[in-house]
Amino acid sequence: MVYRIKRDELNIFLEGFARKNQLVAPLKGKLAKFELVKEEQVKDIYLEKNTYFPAKEFFFKKNETVFTFKDNKIQEPKLETPKRIFFGLRRCDLNAVKHQDKVFMEQIKDPYYMAARENSYLLGFHCWEAPSKYCFCGTLNLADYYDLMFYDKKDYFLVEVGSDKGKELIKEFKTLFEDIDITITKEEKKIKGADRLLKDDIKGLYDHPDWQKGVNQCLSCAACTNLCPTCYCFELHDETKTSNIQEGKRVRNWSSCQVLDFSRVAGEHVFRQKREERFKHRIYHQLEYFKERYGVNMCVGCGRCIQGCPTRIDFVQIINEMK
Amino acid sequence: MVKAKTIIKNAPKIKPKVAFYGITGCAGCLLSVLFNEDEILDLIELIDLKAFPFIKEVNVEEKYDYVFIEGLVASKEDLEEVKRLRENATFVVSLGACACTGCIPAYRNFTLKENYEHLLYKKVEDLEDVQPTPVDMHIKVDHYIPGCPPNKKEILTFIRSVLRGKIPIPYSSPVCVECRQNGNECLLDVGKPCLGPITAGGCNSVCINGGLECWGCRGPSKDMNLELMIKILREKGFDDKFIQDRMRTFAGLKLPMLDEVIKHTKEKVGAKNE
Ligand code: SF4
Ligand code: SF4
Ligand code: SF4
Ligand code: SF4
Ligand code: SF4
Repeated sequence: MVYRIKRDELNIFLEGFARKNQLVAPLKGKLAKFELVKEEQVKDIYLEKNTYFPAKEFFFKKNETVFTFKDNKIQEPKLETPKRIFFGLRRCDLNAVKHQDKVFMEQIKDPYYMAARENSYLLGFHCWEAPSKYCFCGTLNLADYYDLMFYDKKDYFLVEVGSDKGKELIKEFKTLFEDIDITITKEEKKIKGADRLLKDDIKGLYDHPDWQKGVNQCLSCAACTNLCPTCYCFELHDETKTSNIQEGKRVRNWSSCQVLDFSRVAGEHVFRQKREERFKHRIYHQLEYFKERYGVNMCVGCGRCIQGCPTRIDFVQIINEMK
Repeated sequence: MVKAKTIIKNAPKIKPKVAFYGITGCAGCLLSVLFNEDEILDLIELIDLKAFPFIKEVNVEEKYDYVFIEGLVASKEDLEEVKRLRENATFVVSLGACACTGCIPAYRNFTLKENYEHLLYKKVEDLEDVQPTPVDMHIKVDHYIPGCPPNKKEILTFIRSVLRGKIPIPYSSPVCVECRQNGNECLLDVGKPCLGPITAGGCNSVCINGGLECWGCRGPSKDMNLELMIKILREKGFDDKFIQDRMRTFAGLKLPMLDEVIKHTKEKVGAKNE
């Protein structure tokens, strides 16, 4: 199902949400990121490029309290999220949500993630052309995964419905949307300039000497995993009160395979001592291990880990150049 | 690294005997303890505060369970003091950058005697020039709470943890980890000489959050890529003298290999600013 909305009516639609519910969309700032957008900020929504930071933290949160405890009792937090509309997610971002859904909602049921995810609507924004030179989503077989997808046609937007939730939104604002009888073909959806990754598989390349090109440029600073929309590793720690050391909370925060402590276990054994092992682990998880388990690459090709890397290590280029 | 082990069971029935002592330093780290205004009275309930000469008139000199030492060894008296404290303590904590790395006062190690001697040592007669050194170069140190000044919360976290039978594991990942989670723009990308990638975090990247680059006050991170950091700073246009000075300012004597690495690191590297 495809609809059409006039360019100047898009903001009316979004302002309607910002007024009644919560609207999350990219704002520019120093570095573009997804933020809660108030009604009067709708005009500042930034769609020129993809965001520097992903939308991940709205679902898989940083420093989230998983329970509080006092003496020997624990109390789980009330998990409620108001209806939230995400607007401006690119194809890569939408697939990143899909992959995190697999991790936190299919195999295990993570109540914190599910609560944050439950009431949300995913409204995508299509890239006709790769907005950044780091993008490489084109050859990763990304899926259509959205409630609504917006295609910019200059004077108007085409809006494709991807789910019942999407249909419901259109209904709610039906005066703004004109039902048109077309389909958007796969060929039309193909993003220009995003076919950077040239190998389907890196299975046999683990011991390739070219990885060293990246390893030598790596600080193990974890910018890559922190900026990645799909990385989902976390750590848990307790924070207690000085007034009662048996009272406090257990907190979950993002963690990263790039740092030494990540693979440290009881007895002080560290499984990935070498920088090389850590560097390769991330890329193999993204392009190999996840696929073995879930059938798709975890990486969605957004290129944020390259853009945000202090030395701009381009593992796509390294892989492409491997003979 | 310190291993987690049971220290006190059924805490806090037995209150640990705790002392805070300062040797050569600015007392800022001791102040950091006191800056926990809201929790300081609760803290006093948890521990048996035997000595804290900075704020207490009566200080009991006996066996302590935990001794926090602020400052570095820079005089004969300091040396005697740390030895005495070690003998009397089950567990010694180096508190703050001076104690942990030598920090700014250790800079004297990197300059010639004639550059500073006349400023002080020739004026004060009984002051002897002892090589300024972090505490662990003289006695065994069991735990480090680094930083100039240290994170005030980390001091309380340590005490609460030992009371629950655990020694907290020092934060050893680079400052960048917290910095990126805090949503900062990377200062290296705007040409500032940020030492976050080679510095142990745990400060919640407080300097970068405020717009200032990391100067490395929490000391080198466990797994730093020093060579690459040097190359990156060169690429940003900083010369070797600047790099050496900046890295030593807070890391003090904890970068003994720096001269060698600078010498052996030839090229530049890194991303051009965009
Ligand atoms: S990776 Fe693809 S979908 Fe994502 S911003 Fe780039 S071109 Fe668009
Ligand atoms: S962002 Fe770059 S330098 Fe930092 S850990 Fe990742 S690959 Fe290494
Ligand atoms: S690995 Fe890099 S390119 Fe792939 S999804 Fe993560 S940030 Fe994007
Ligand atoms: S600003 Fe400094 S601490 Fe933050 S990511 Fe960049 S190099 Fe690391
Ligand atoms: S950001 Fe760097 S200089 Fe600032 S407190 Fe942290 S370690 Fe110290």
